[in-house]
Amino acid sequence: MNPSKGGRIGLYAYGILILAFLYLPLISVGFASVSQARYLSFPIRQYTTQWYGQALESDTVSDLLWISLQVATIVTIISMVLGFFGALAFARYHWRFRRLYQKLILLPIFFPQSVLGLALLMWFNAVGITPTWHTAIIAHLVWIAPIATLIIAIRAYSFDPALEEAARDMGCSTWQTLREVTIPLLMPGVISAGLFSFLLSWGNFPLSLFTTGADLTLPEWLYAKMVSGYSPLVPTVGMLSVAASIVLVVVAFAVSMLTTRFKRNTTN
Amino acid sequence: MNLVTPARLLDEKAGVSHSGAPPVPRAMTQTQPILRIVDLKKTFDEFTALDSVNLTVDDGEFLAIVGPSGSGKTTLIRLLVGMEEPTSGEIWLKDRRIDDVPANRRPTCMVFQSLALFPHRSVGENIEFPLKIRGVDAAQRRARALELLDVVRLPQHYYDKRIQQCSGGERQRVALARALAFDPEILFFDEPLSALDFRLRKMLEKELKDLHQRTGKTFIYITHSLEEAMVMSDRIAIMKSGGFEQIGPAEEIYAKPKSRFVAEFMGEVNLFHTRDGAASIAFEDVSIDPAVAKARGLSPEFKGYLMARPESVRLLAAGEVADATADGVIESEYLLGSRMQYLVRLASGYKVTVELSRENRVSWEPGARTRIGFDLDRAHLIQEA
Repeated sequence: MNPSKGGRIGLYAYGILILAFLYLPLISVGFASVSQARYLSFPIRQYTTQWYGQALESDTVSDLLWISLQVATIVTIISMVLGFFGALAFARYHWRFRRLYQKLILLPIFFPQSVLGLALLMWFNAVGITPTWHTAIIAHLVWIAPIATLIIAIRAYSFDPALEEAARDMGCSTWQTLREVTIPLLMPGVISAGLFSFLLSWGNFPLSLFTTGADLTLPEWLYAKMVSGYSPLVPTVGMLSVAASIVLVVVAFAVSMLTTRFKRNTTN
Repeated sequence: MNLVTPARLLDEKAGVSHSGAPPVPRAMTQTQPILRIVDLKKTFDEFTALDSVNLTVDDGEFLAIVGPSGSGKTTLIRLLVGMEEPTSGEIWLKDRRIDDVPANRRPTCMVFQSLALFPHRSVGENIEFPLKIRGVDAAQRRARALELLDVVRLPQHYYDKRIQQCSGGERQRVALARALAFDPEILFFDEPLSALDFRLRKMLEKELKDLHQRTGKTFIYITHSLEEAMVMSDRIAIMKSGGFEQIGPAEEIYAKPKSRFVAEFMGEVNLFHTRDGAASIAFEDVSIDPAVAKARGLSPEFKGYLMARPESVRLLAAGEVADATADGVIESEYLLGSRMQYLVRLASGYKVTVELSRENRVSWEPGARTRIGFDLDRAHLIQEA
């Protein structure tokens, strides 16, 4: 159906408004990061890249990036592995209490993260673990591993269980079935679960705030600097963080495009 | 059409000549059973899916197992390929007991209802899959896959096609080629044609039967479609609530069903129950001359049904005689392609189905009185259980 002229103008206006709502704040942070002035004001009188230079030279910033990167990477890897086996257990095997377990596993996604963070902090104290970025990994996993499991489970539910039976019927051992059929078919789900895990961990604030102890992740530092002692590096580090996320997503897309094309080329 | 098959495909044990000469009739070469099922039972919690069934299948036979849904045919085939474990009973493949052998170590292979083709592999890779698992090298695998494409009548360039690019019929052929690549002792089929349109299904039924003859392999095919079973198989086993109701050649099952269930399952049928309290044998709805009944050897003690298939029943012309007759009114007429079908309502209200070839079509008025009749040598008696 084609909209009338008035309708079309309305649709465009609506689209632009939504996009502006979504992206204007981020764009203004972008402007702030290249403004000479200490505080953001429009119009920008002088553009500069000095904050980026300083940020990249700063030990604090590289420490922040390193800690955030370590947390996100480890959370991603563990989430992918847990999610893979968890999804298989959900979708492929029938066992008692499976449905109940399924729901309980997914429940942490719906908890307010600040409450979850507080609960974990109290728990770490109770068992005598000093919170560092290591404990933040556990906290992130409590929230992110269920999400990864959910993403992979959707994929696992969507493929025909007869594929695995057929592989077995044609002589595959359990391991061969996993390698030849299950893993290749679940891979797209595992990759997107990994991508989500990384981005959710990389940008997570509430869980990190409660559970990193003396260590700081990137979002925590941004918040700390806003509360006390604003630095013009704040928008810059913020933009670096966004840039890292974008790079990851772009790389993931490129890799998936290339592998499909590679596959098509090798089979045609 | 290309009828030349790679010689390697033909099973030497089946005694089939490699020169392209017509296959030796099975009965002359095979006597040894390839599969023996003894008192096989499967229960799921309270539910008995399979109730102590026994079956023997000859080497090289094409057996169709037919039954309505819930009759236990899927359970049976899953037990035979090893995807379910029997509750009790034995499965013998030649002289080896296989009921506790896992599916991946059984020399049998199944074509699934969903076909279960691997979507992440090309047509060629799908066909080669069982060979890859067995550790055959890539060049040999490829050569074999190309041969098999020929056997199932797909062009060689399909080797590189993606499964998603194949039509329903082509996928059937790929699944068949993959199962043949496995080179099983017995090839099982779980209603693989049920999702296809009528014309394609008819074509593939014939091809499958043809392939069975060329390969000499044992095929066990489950289906709920009687027509499919009749076209393809040497023997049909009819299943009902977890057991076999009747096992025999299609002809026998069609013409001489052992029970009302089989009679009605095998297409349209007219059934006339014996009339109680009659001095000599008599049936509801139709009248038989007692002298004829006696001459044909109908016992007065017989209790059950007299069965006449629609094609055995005639619309009698004035003065024409038949062993069993009844008066009625033609109610409707259906054109079934090469045949005509008439529905005749008898005085008792029972509706008799009559089928005539199209040339014998009669002209009739609604409500026209007619006489139906059939001869006892074209009818069959079903003893009541």
